[in-house]
Amino acid sequence: MIRKLLLPAVAALGLVFSQGVWSQNIKFAILGPMAFVQGENHWAGAEMARDEINKAGGIAVGGAKRMVEIIKIDTNEIQSVPDATNAIERAISRDKADFLIGGFRSEAVIAMQEVAMDNKKLFMGVGAAAFKLGQNVEQNYERYKYWFRASPTKDIDLAKTLFAVLGSVAEQIRKDLNRPVPKVAIVAEKTAWTEGLIKAAQANLPKMNMEVVGLWQPSAIATDVTAELSAIKRANADIVFTIISGPLGIVLGRQMGELELSAVAWGINVEAQKDGFWQATAGKGNYVSTLDTYAEVETTPKTIPFVRAFKARFNKSPIYTAATYDAIMALKQVIEQTGTIEAEKLIPAIEKSEYVGTGAIATYDNRHDLVWAVGKTSGIAVEWQDGQKVPFWPPGTKGMKPFKLPKH
Amino acid sequence: MFQDILVSGLVNSGVYALLALGFSLIFGVARIVNIAHTAFYMLAAYALYGLLVIAKVPFLLAIPLAVAAVVALSLVCYKLVIEPVRQHESAVLIATIALALIFQESLLVAFGGSFRGIPNAVEGVVSIIGVRVSYQRLIVLVVVAITLVATWYLLNRTRLGLAIRTAANDQEIANLMGIDVSRVAMYTVGISVALAAIAGVVVAPVFVVDPLMWLSPLVTMLAIVVLGGLGSLKGSVIGAFIIGYVEAITVFAVPSGSYLKGAVALTIMIVVLLIRPEGLYGVVFEEER
Amino acid sequence: MKGLLAWPRWLWAQLRHEVLVLPSRSFVFFAVLLLLVLPLAYDDPYVLRIITMTAIFAIFAASWDLLAGFTGQVNFGHALFFGIGAYTSALLSHHLGWLPWLTVPLGAALAMMAGFLVGIPCLRLRGSYLSLATLAFPLILTGLLFAFPDFSGGELGVSGLKRILVGTVGNYYVAVLLMLVSCFGMWGIGDSNTGLIFHAIREDEVACRASGINTTRYKLLAFALSGWFAGLSGALFAHFMRVAGPSSLEVALSFQVVIWGIFGGIATIYGPVLAVFLLYPLTEILANIDLFKEIRLLIFAVIVLLVLLFMPQGLTPWIRDKIEVVCPRCKNRNVFTRHQCRLCGAELR
Repeated sequence: MIRKLLLPAVAALGLVFSQGVWSQNIKFAILGPMAFVQGENHWAGAEMARDEINKAGGIAVGGAKRMVEIIKIDTNEIQSVPDATNAIERAISRDKADFLIGGFRSEAVIAMQEVAMDNKKLFMGVGAAAFKLGQNVEQNYERYKYWFRASPTKDIDLAKTLFAVLGSVAEQIRKDLNRPVPKVAIVAEKTAWTEGLIKAAQANLPKMNMEVVGLWQPSAIATDVTAELSAIKRANADIVFTIISGPLGIVLGRQMGELELSAVAWGINVEAQKDGFWQATAGKGNYVSTLDTYAEVETTPKTIPFVRAFKARFNKSPIYTAATYDAIMALKQVIEQTGTIEAEKLIPAIEKSEYVGTGAIATYDNRHDLVWAVGKTSGIAVEWQDGQKVPFWPPGTKGMKPFKLPKH
Repeated sequence: MFQDILVSGLVNSGVYALLALGFSLIFGVARIVNIAHTAFYMLAAYALYGLLVIAKVPFLLAIPLAVAAVVALSLVCYKLVIEPVRQHESAVLIATIALALIFQESLLVAFGGSFRGIPNAVEGVVSIIGVRVSYQRLIVLVVVAITLVATWYLLNRTRLGLAIRTAANDQEIANLMGIDVSRVAMYTVGISVALAAIAGVVVAPVFVVDPLMWLSPLVTMLAIVVLGGLGSLKGSVIGAFIIGYVEAITVFAVPSGSYLKGAVALTIMIVVLLIRPEGLYGVVFEEER
Repeated sequence: MKGLLAWPRWLWAQLRHEVLVLPSRSFVFFAVLLLLVLPLAYDDPYVLRIITMTAIFAIFAASWDLLAGFTGQVNFGHALFFGIGAYTSALLSHHLGWLPWLTVPLGAALAMMAGFLVGIPCLRLRGSYLSLATLAFPLILTGLLFAFPDFSGGELGVSGLKRILVGTVGNYYVAVLLMLVSCFGMWGIGDSNTGLIFHAIREDEVACRASGINTTRYKLLAFALSGWFAGLSGALFAHFMRVAGPSSLEVALSFQVVIWGIFGGIATIYGPVLAVFLLYPLTEILANIDLFKEIRLLIFAVIVLLVLLFMPQGLTPWIRDKIEVVCPRCKNRNVFTRHQCRLCGAELR
């Protein structure tokens, strides 16, 4: 008897509850080291996406409009990996986030990926380039299919861009300085992700009519490379090919300027992507060039308006972790297309989707990594010229300026 | 290559020596293992950054102000935090760790995690036997030399120095001789932190300023001090030169292994300790009872 | 029937006369009980995760205490053992595909070996020299790991490890039960004759040797035992996180364990354990409060500092002295409300 009464009651309650759920906000947890520039950009990009979507009335999910809510999760990943995993668990089970977006330090993101996969939550990576993250999807699809890397491309694909730009820099040196075979010094931080790039560089550069004069591998957090630079100076290098993600990039830029090296630095230098680079090198980082994501150039039709709006709102230019904006917008596109926020149904849709973002035109491969193509996901190259970050590559994109060689 | 090693080893050693001196002094006199030593160095760097870059104070005024502010802060910290627990060695130890964490987190909240740069006092480079060295590095070497002489003079030729050395030898006897031991300890802390702060203001322009910058010089500094012998100023300077040259040789001998320079330096320290457990110039303590 | 009833009765008697008479023991008893039944009543995965981590770090902190607190060999590089346990277990299960049940003890065993090997050079070092020299070992190992990225994974570490059990609750019980066994084990060692000798080495090594004790052997034993438990916690950590990376060898972790150990009160085992159970969740609780989110580590450091100012011996000895008194005659502990010793009847105070 009691059962008979209870059953409809529970059903009714369930209905009310699920209705409640339907009218709720869609929650995006933004994960990042919030005290650091990477995290600030994670959050800033997400704020832009939220405001834009909510202003337009929200995301249409099967007829109903639902608002976007973003939750700031400080992972503290730069200082502690366990903290990062606790933070993502908190986002999932406490804050009941529907989607996870962000992450930066590779070691931490690998650990966070596990927690997200345990909970079968869609995790859009924005920041970590480690190949392993996508390889997991390929090797164990059922478990890791909830992971997508919205930005940047995986580390090995970065190499393709690097060599393409290196070729054009070398060409300029051949022409302007009359060096038929430019000499290249490779400076790579000693980390696993640089290994493949170094091998590729050592193999490819001679074919590209360049000479590798040496390989220096300081620690990613080295505070001093004067000894290395003295050796590079002695080797008469024309190009310093950098593969650096850590603060080493600042030290290198500053000390190259201080010692008035005539070589030009090109490569990956994550710190040089930040506005603060000029100040951090005390104005010595002139001519340092790096792979980058955002500038006022027409990478996609959305890039220039986004970068301008970002600068107007936050008084600084975005770095690549601001692609949280793209991640949220890409999710909005597939949510509206499929009419659901269930991860299982969204995954095939994302896999098939093409999303025109602000930093890239995103399509995914079987590792849930961005498919690499010049002008689509290759990013851009920028050079510091007298306090300004000047974009100079790919040449076909509107808004590019010439690359300059050091004067001393 | 030889002259490269010679010169870059020398300039790096100068930086290390300046850091190691103050740490060694406070250990030698007050037996405090001050983990926060490099945190004071970091504070001085930030103080200089704030004065110079944000408040636009001229260099010659900013440097003494930064040093004075950090020394004043250290004395307050010593009075409030260290002195009450002086009797408990382990409590002093983690009090200094906690202080360093507090400084780190305060700076992180106030300035964020971004890297900052401090302009050089004097711009330009000079060529020494074919190796380029920036003026700032030469200034570091000069400051090391001056600080060393000044510290030696203070300890050996002044009444305060006599008192400090007496207190270092035997606190009780010093007390009986009419020396105000707790005041002497205060002075020592002040001098030691002043050395760290001076290092901060002259070395910081060479490096990058960020709230985690205290950790990596801490390890190198501890290695130097242990290598040279705890509490020995001479040992600290010689230790700094050994580590500085070991690092330079590592970089030039195995370029693709230059990330190993820290590990090689630490290994050298361990090897030296295996042969001489009290470091190169350390005092051989009687087994303490 | 009578025989069946005798056991519970004996247990109850033990409980009443040995455990519930003292507030500290009752606290431990109820805390253990709470830890064991918690997942049955409340299975929030976030809370269980935090407690699992706490339990793993509790083993780590206690192992530091066994070495640094008891024998006075203040180790500043304790992360070495943690990292060796983590990496050994991770590499074995990654390269050879062995199950965690096998690799975790092997990780601990290798950390024990490392403890023994590190102990040998440290025999010659005293006081601060030992502390500062040990700081170097994990950093040297980090250098080696970075030198062989194909083998060690470089800065990414070894990832995708198998969990010991599937599911949050299962891993919770693995960590908590091993924590209880290990910590009671270490507490037992501390309370045994060996522990007494450890104490003696810290207090006066010369006198200890003069009494005919081979202090070298005991110091190495302390290093090895401490290495075993630290390695165990490292291996558990690696399999729980499913990653063993260079962050398990960081200086910050070595400092963290020193803070836990001294904050809780050295040479007690239960002190560091309690310290971890208070301090580790503390930062997480602060992270849940919007006001303190950004400054949680600052608050953490300030709390550590303040507690030490008032309790320079550490938290647990201070609390224990407040709630319990030692009988002047038989040296047994009594609750502070008693006037006569519960065992020998002597007048207290």
